[in-house]
Amino acid sequence: MNSMRVTDHPILGTLENKKQVTITFDDVPYPAFEGDTIASALLASGVRTLRHQEDKGTPRGIYCNIGHCFECRVRVNGKNTVRACLTPVEGDMRIESGGEL
Amino acid sequence: MIDLVIVGAGPAGLGAAISAAEYGLEVCVLDEFVKPGGRLLGQLHEEPDGKWVNGIAEAQKLYYRALQLGVKIKCGVSVYDIAKLESGWCVYTTDQIYETECLLLATGASETPIPVPGWTLPGVMSIGAAQVMGNVHRVKPGEKGIIIGVNVLSVAIARELQLCGVHIESILLPQSSFVSGDSAHPEKMMESLLRLTHLAPSPLIRFGGKWVNPKIGARLYPRNGFKMWGIPIQLRKTALEILGEYQVEGVRIADISATGEVVPGTEKVLSADFVCIAGGLTPMSELASVAGCSFRYIPELGGHIPIHNECMQTNLKGLYVAGNITGVESAKVARAQGTVAGLSVARELHAIKQRADEIIDIAKKEVIDTRRNALIQFQAGIEREREELYDKGNNVFEEKISV
Amino acid sequence: MSGDQTVICRCEEITLKEIKETVERFQCSSREVKLRTRAGMGPCGGRTCRCMIDRLVEQLGGPKISNDVSLSYRPPVRPVSFGILGGEPK
Repeated sequence: MNSMRVTDHPILGTLENKKQVTITFDDVPYPAFEGDTIASALLASGVRTLRHQEDKGTPRGIYCNIGHCFECRVRVNGKNTVRACLTPVEGDMRIESGGEL
Repeated sequence: MIDLVIVGAGPAGLGAAISAAEYGLEVCVLDEFVKPGGRLLGQLHEEPDGKWVNGIAEAQKLYYRALQLGVKIKCGVSVYDIAKLESGWCVYTTDQIYETECLLLATGASETPIPVPGWTLPGVMSIGAAQVMGNVHRVKPGEKGIIIGVNVLSVAIARELQLCGVHIESILLPQSSFVSGDSAHPEKMMESLLRLTHLAPSPLIRFGGKWVNPKIGARLYPRNGFKMWGIPIQLRKTALEILGEYQVEGVRIADISATGEVVPGTEKVLSADFVCIAGGLTPMSELASVAGCSFRYIPELGGHIPIHNECMQTNLKGLYVAGNITGVESAKVARAQGTVAGLSVARELHAIKQRADEIIDIAKKEVIDTRRNALIQFQAGIEREREELYDKGNNVFEEKISV
Repeated sequence: MSGDQTVICRCEEITLKEIKETVERFQCSSREVKLRTRAGMGPCGGRTCRCMIDRLVEQLGGPKISNDVSLSYRPPVRPVSFGILGGEPK
């Protein structure tokens, strides 16, 4: 499940054990580490598609990863237009794709 | 009212916070990201002497020093508007409204996109996104990647991704089009790559040394590129289209001539599970624009730059800029500029009791020295363009003052 | 996919073809392109595509990139809820 994690890094060292929490994305539970953003936690589990473009329905995922492009916007606990790349995970966080303005 | 609000907790913002707080100013730094450090966070490179520079550790040092001096640092806060007050500035954020005597915009730069057919597919991301994912969040952007855009940033980050255990299949050029401009031109890219020789990885120095003239270099460039750290850098191949139904599955590529034309019959598909777009950086002008700053369009500095002088003052009273918003350069230059900005604010608020001009002159000289010693020169002509801009900034500033 | 179908504005999914046709038909500035096509009017506020549209318009024979920030930004520069705009605490 966590094969995408860079656990050991030759320069940055080994990731210490972090507290694990569970988030749900479109009702599917995923593990996340404390300190993850929604985007990094979902990508660690191999989830790339975060929403579909409102008019044409094309799939979208993260693009800039630092809050500039708004491509990763999702709905979090009922709140729209939340940037997955800037939002730290919390236990039982309920995330949904889509999220029109 | 606060003395100084700083937008952006990168090296410029934190550098300014430290120098202003050292003179007793009350400083608050705001940043959208989850951690302070800005683009410094992603950086990881080996200096010519073999020492690694770890941006996360560098950012942490700045952060702790600022905290020690009593600077308030708020992450996860977005600024959505700023307005001039009778005296000072009003900063509207998702957290609260701040009123401040002086305001420093250290918002950095955003990545310049290169549109490629298929680039909206999940799995296509900016090169900086992949860097942050790997180095900061410690999650691989994918197992096997292709980087579109050959420049200083893309080659350096390719190496960083490799250290994260990611396989980089190829770094190649975007297709020549209306929008890609020079980034699709082998000779032009050869020229920009040669500026990377400061960074020292030996294959490039050998390569650069062999074909110093970019024209000749691009023509003699081996059809299959050359490798740095085992990563193929291909100035004679172009990405035609990113393929995939629901997410990235591969890239259709072709050979190109030294001037960028596709060689018929050379198309093939490389498989990959992610693609990075590396178009360089553009200073973020939006808050300065909302504030009412005057701008100059300076391609050598990355785009539209708010007019400012060497003390980092804009043409609006109490509004300062530092770091990549003033032109794309290295984190060390940004930090040095931040120090100048922090000191200039301290002088404006009469917090420096003695020798203020002298102290600021020393900090200004440090910016110039840092620029000259920079390992990576992002663009040619930075120093010349800056001098011209400062002349402009000084003139504008004197006019305002004399009114 | 042909080059003309390449998306320029990711938010509103506006293609190179739409922008080209607008510039050719109306001989317009990048600001006008934005208003006519909605390119740059999505949630990112044009941060991703602004400089591309400036360059495109210039290369298609429209006005040269000037010292002004052509697709001038309007606050809010980030989408915010009406609650926050109304001064409601977070």
